[in-house]
Amino acid sequence: MISPRVAFRAVQARVGALRRAVLAEVEDINRALYHVLRAGVLLSVAFILFGFALEAFGAGGLPTQSIPPRRLLVEVLRFTPAGYVNLGILVLIFTPVARVFVSLLSFAEERDRTYTGITFIVLVNLLSSFFVLA
Amino acid sequence: MRAGRTRPRASLLLPRPFAEVMASLEVLLVLLVAAFLAGFGGSFLGIGGGVFLIPFMTLALGLEIRTAIATSLIGVIATSSGAASVYVRDHLTNLRLGMFLEVATTLGAISGAVLALLVDEQLLFLSFAAATLYAGVIMIRTRETAKDRAYRSGEEDHLTKRLGLSSVYFDQEDQGVYRYRVERPLAGFAASAAAGGFSGLLGVGGGFIKVPAMNILMRVPMKAAVATSNFMIGVTAAASAFIYFSAGFVEPTLAAMVIIGVFTGANIGTRLLLRTKAQRVRFVFAILLAALGVLMGLRAFGVAVVL
Repeated sequence: MISPRVAFRAVQARVGALRRAVLAEVEDINRALYHVLRAGVLLSVAFILFGFALEAFGAGGLPTQSIPPRRLLVEVLRFTPAGYVNLGILVLIFTPVARVFVSLLSFAEERDRTYTGITFIVLVNLLSSFFVLA
Repeated sequence: MRAGRTRPRASLLLPRPFAEVMASLEVLLVLLVAAFLAGFGGSFLGIGGGVFLIPFMTLALGLEIRTAIATSLIGVIATSSGAASVYVRDHLTNLRLGMFLEVATTLGAISGAVLALLVDEQLLFLSFAAATLYAGVIMIRTRETAKDRAYRSGEEDHLTKRLGLSSVYFDQEDQGVYRYRVERPLAGFAASAAAGGFSGLLGVGGGFIKVPAMNILMRVPMKAAVATSNFMIGVTAAASAFIYFSAGFVEPTLAAMVIIGVFTGANIGTRLLLRTKAQRVRFVFAILLAALGVLMGLRAFGVAVVL
């Protein structure tokens, strides 16, 4: 016979181990980056397929040129295929940026100064190409 | 950008055959298949797949080269993000090495994309031919055995130690755990800057320079080099892709087809890389690269060869 106290302790230990495992997984930088990259690509593909579906239901023609980010919101709110296809492409372009941003946060959290600095330089380079040159 | 002025550099463009291309569904489907293969090959070799997509779009579909580059850059991001997610999860990617070299590639990419809007087409084709031929030669010459992968004795490079670049990876091919160290970090940094420049200039991921640079110069095992290159090319390409997108060079429908095709291909390519011996497939790709390099070189001198 197992005494209730021993059983309780065993359960407690098991729950604790599970919690630590989950936490370790959540905190793992690799895991975080995996989710960012995966989500970005899946979201992009989903928007594009939604755009194609809108076209198939006659909500407008497929786009022949890129919509500047400034006008994109209007098109998206109007549910035009062009809006959603462009949105999907833009989400994909910004996926690597999100990935760099998440790595920056992770390195900062680990108090790794050297790599926080390196990642910060990469992010600045990226954003400067987005906002200065574009 | 104002509504009536979406193509500010229209005067630089040649007559664009896109409207005719767009008209046929067959062409879009062909592009979908090509993108699938590019995503497959790209994720497997650690390159963006642009080296296959750009020649295909210009030579077989007759697209203007800047449109092809812009579309391919989108494909590079899709390959990278799709493949890197798996490689990162399986700890094949050397994150620190990737971040370190990204500093070089993003700087190179920004200068390259600006150059691409200024230089003429012949130069683009010529530099592309040279880059492709170079990649082909490298792929044939690179071989790697378990002995090459093994950890070497001796003092680590100062910068490698300071940045903690050396790493460990698990190889499914022979079920071995390999601890490797990174050598010549500065030479690798310089090569990555050049790769970034190529990326902005030619719309390719620059992986065909980064993988040999990491593998040969820095002595990173092949699979880790492929995974790390795949991790980096997305960031490099994103820097230039947004410039092309804002300048109106991206054809959304073509890009959408490429994204879907590449995404599917990359999902299969990553699984294959984890399991297979890279050696045999690399040989086939080397021959393909050499052939494409010759074709693009001919095109630079006005000899358009239909694929």
